Amino acid sequence: MNLLENALSWANLSFVVVLCVFVFTRRVQRILPLFTVYACALLTAMIGVWLIYDHFGFYSPISYYAYWGSVLMDATARSLAIAELCHYGLRVYRGIWGLIWRVLASLSILLLARAAVDAWGQPNQFAIYGMTIDRDLDLASIVILAVLLIFRNYYGISFNPLQRAIAVGICIICIVDVIGNTVLRNIFTGYLFSWFLVSQKALWPTMAGQVRRVNDIWATIHLCFVMFSMGIWCVALRKPLPEPAAAPELLPVEIYRDLSPAINMRLATFNDRMLELLEP
Amino acid sequence: MSELSIYVLLVAGISVVLAWLLFPRRKSSGTPAPSYRPDGNEALPSPKHYRYFSQIRRALSVEDSAYLVQNASPQVAKQALRERRAVARGYLKGLREDFSDLAKLGRIIAALSPEISREQETQRLMLTLKFQLLYALVAVRLSAGSLPVGQLENLTGIVGRIATRLDEAIVEIDALTSGQNPGRISA
Repeated sequence: MNLLENALSWANLSFVVVLCVFVFTRRVQRILPLFTVYACALLTAMIGVWLIYDHFGFYSPISYYAYWGSVLMDATARSLAIAELCHYGLRVYRGIWGLIWRVLASLSILLLARAAVDAWGQPNQFAIYGMTIDRDLDLASIVILAVLLIFRNYYGISFNPLQRAIAVGICIICIVDVIGNTVLRNIFTGYLFSWFLVSQKALWPTMAGQVRRVNDIWATIHLCFVMFSMGIWCVALRKPLPEPAAAPELLPVEIYRDLSPAINMRLATFNDRMLELLEP
Repeated sequence: MSELSIYVLLVAGISVVLAWLLFPRRKSSGTPAPSYRPDGNEALPSPKHYRYFSQIRRALSVEDSAYLVQNASPQVAKQALRERRAVARGYLKGLREDFSDLAKLGRIIAALSPEISREQETQRLMLTLKFQLLYALVAVRLSAGSLPVGQLENLTGIVGRIATRLDEAIVEIDALTSGQNPGRISA
């Protein structure tokens, strides 16, 4: 690791530790246990990868697999945190939750299937496979978050400040990762592909510098944005969390059964009149 | 188009949507976005603009137009007609607000209902999207001067009838929700 990477890694570790301290001090685990798991996964992955780097060296094969393993572990924990974000706050609205979870679950299955198919077609190299599946999981995450926000906006159910901060942080990480992984994957499957071919072993010494430079640039960008997101979460957690809002008292089901068709019928009539206005 | 361009464009598009949804613009008055408080601190959305149609109709009447054309100079008449169109556009905007309020009321009822119908929700969504499209077309025609102002009266009648029915419903909902804990729709 060069000096910049060392500094960034220490800064990142500090951010993760502060985040975990905030999470447990504010007892976030009571309301968002999976986000707590995500914060702990970030810390565990970082310490684990560091120990491996320290013991086996930065450029050893074990370090390589440990890094990609930690990336996939973070992506999995982040996906769980997103699932929790979908569930939390909406489950009390039983009617619309029944509709929303079906849509989100169908979309998730579709996007995960797409990620699996996309990764399946990649060259049989762990890094390229990891990058592809990480990118597709990130893309799935931002699509799911966008759909969730559309639903919430449509039904007028706003996020509380902590949920919003978590969503913003996750979106930033995912957006940067999608673009970064796509660029990196293009480079690795393009002019640096020889790096992964044993038959091209003779070229490796000349390519090593380029490969490390590409990896360093990407690692720096990734770490900066992860720290930025963790900063957003820490700011949101700097004050004690408000007591959870009381669950709304739902209306008798008859009101919906009576009024919803009537409202829709009137809206339809209104549209018909609008169409009449447009007739020549 | 390369894979990278596709992903960058896709992510840029989703990012704009996410930013718009995560940081909604506040109204110019600085008041928070309206939301329903079941304790009655905040009124349920209900149509209101349609009530002013008689005044608008008077201001936009054909007789007035004819009088202007006959008695005022062409320049003044043209200016007046242009301003009348602007008034009609403003009124159409108000009617859109009425429509939005009705649709919003439907969504609030759905959010607070323990059971909802997928068909009803899909239908309301489609109706709202259709209305947005039709509204844009009507507004364009009104701006172009090819839509008689008098035709707005038909729309107003429809909104008025919905409003009467929904005013009763709002009273009914308020009665049912009175006494429950205050809590706007939020997570």
